[in-house]
Amino acid sequence: MSHDEASDLLGAYALDAVDGDEFTELEEHLETCPRCRAELDSLRDVAAAMGNSVEPLPEGLWSQIAVRLPGRQEDEEPHPMPRLTPEGGSPFRSPVSRTGPTRRRRSVSTIVGAIAVAAAAVAVVFGVGLVRADNKVSNLQSVQAAPAAAVTAALRAPGHRVITLDSSTHAEKVKMVVLPSGQGYMVSSTLPSLDKGRIYQLWAMEGNQPISLGLLGSSPNQAAFVMAGSTRPSHLSITAEPAGGSVFPTGQIIVTGTV
Amino acid sequence: MPRMDEMSDAQLVTSVARYSEVALAEAYRRHGGAVFGLAKRVLNNPTDAEDVTQEVFLRLWNQPDRFDPARGSLRSFLLAQAHGRAVDAVRSSSSRRAREARDALRTAESPYDMQREVWDLAVADQVASAMGELPEEERRAIELAYFDGHTYREVAELLDQPEGTVKSRIRNGMRRMRAVLADAGVRGVDA
Repeated sequence: MSHDEASDLLGAYALDAVDGDEFTELEEHLETCPRCRAELDSLRDVAAAMGNSVEPLPEGLWSQIAVRLPGRQEDEEPHPMPRLTPEGGSPFRSPVSRTGPTRRRRSVSTIVGAIAVAAAAVAVVFGVGLVRADNKVSNLQSVQAAPAAAVTAALRAPGHRVITLDSSTHAEKVKMVVLPSGQGYMVSSTLPSLDKGRIYQLWAMEGNQPISLGLLGSSPNQAAFVMAGSTRPSHLSITAEPAGGSVFPTGQIIVTGTV
Repeated sequence: MPRMDEMSDAQLVTSVARYSEVALAEAYRRHGGAVFGLAKRVLNNPTDAEDVTQEVFLRLWNQPDRFDPARGSLRSFLLAQAHGRAVDAVRSSSSRRAREARDALRTAESPYDMQREVWDLAVADQVASAMGELPEEERRAIELAYFDGHTYREVAELLDQPEGTVKSRIRNGMRRMRAVLADAGVRGVDA
């Protein structure tokens, strides 16, 4: 295959849309052509940007991966995925240098205890001086799923604000877009799925007074909400609560963001 | 030794090469959701997407040297792996899917749903507008190939266009996207 023929095919190849003899010939050309390799790398980046759709990971999937790692003994428990990191301490005490190529198994016992703590990691805890939200609408309804078109429109609307909710101690992130009207949308979330009986709840914080904006379910993705009860919140925060929601937050703030 | 969650992706992969399961777990935590998300988008089936996600991370464990940090980000690498595997799975039942796709084309064309592809709102916004700026025929060809897992020859058949035309449209569209994203300061997917 000539360089020009190969070059013409690189766009389709970056999308995995070339097959058969052409595929083989193109791969042979790529072996010998640094220009085409560089072009391919940049087109693969474009493909990755298009295909980058972060979704909450299914529960238990990591365990299924971990038990299939070669060298693992039958009775060895997979260590939990390090989702949350306890403040001030690293759960990763197992020194990597101990896990050289001659030692395919690695000690997991040293980290299990710390991971258990991680499961209860605290980012921020609500203070005790919460004021009852007598004059505020506290919304304990489940929020509605947001049509993609509505989210797209919100992102193009004048005056929209993007609010990132995150945590100082771990990687979970939620993005919201809020319009001047008070209509808001949850655009994306990396929050893990909760166990049965627990749900995420969204709060507007005015000072240290939390006003519920609605229940996000156990595996939130896109959702619409209205800042009805709270027109000028300083923060948006998400906690995990018992199914049915809470009038006041009982769980820890998992992610929070400045409005 | 830096904390695992402070390591760069490249450092993580080096640790994976030394059989650090903790490093693999951290790579999974950072990128698993994106791998699963793309697989689910292409396969339209969460169970199959879980299988692909497993394969991608087991392959990273078994062949960490396949990742070359000089050639792009770990996220891009893993997404390319996920896409290739998802497409393989799709094509194993390709005749059925081709028929379904033709049926789908005859009915409604759904608007491009970018919001589920968000890794970062800014990037997603840029990607969406870059896609929106593409001529319709280029965008359609790229979507059919990338998200529905068709070869460019199948796309040509689906759209009733010459193969060479579709090949060029995909190439031109991808280059156009690259230019728009580069202008917007988006380069690949870092995360």
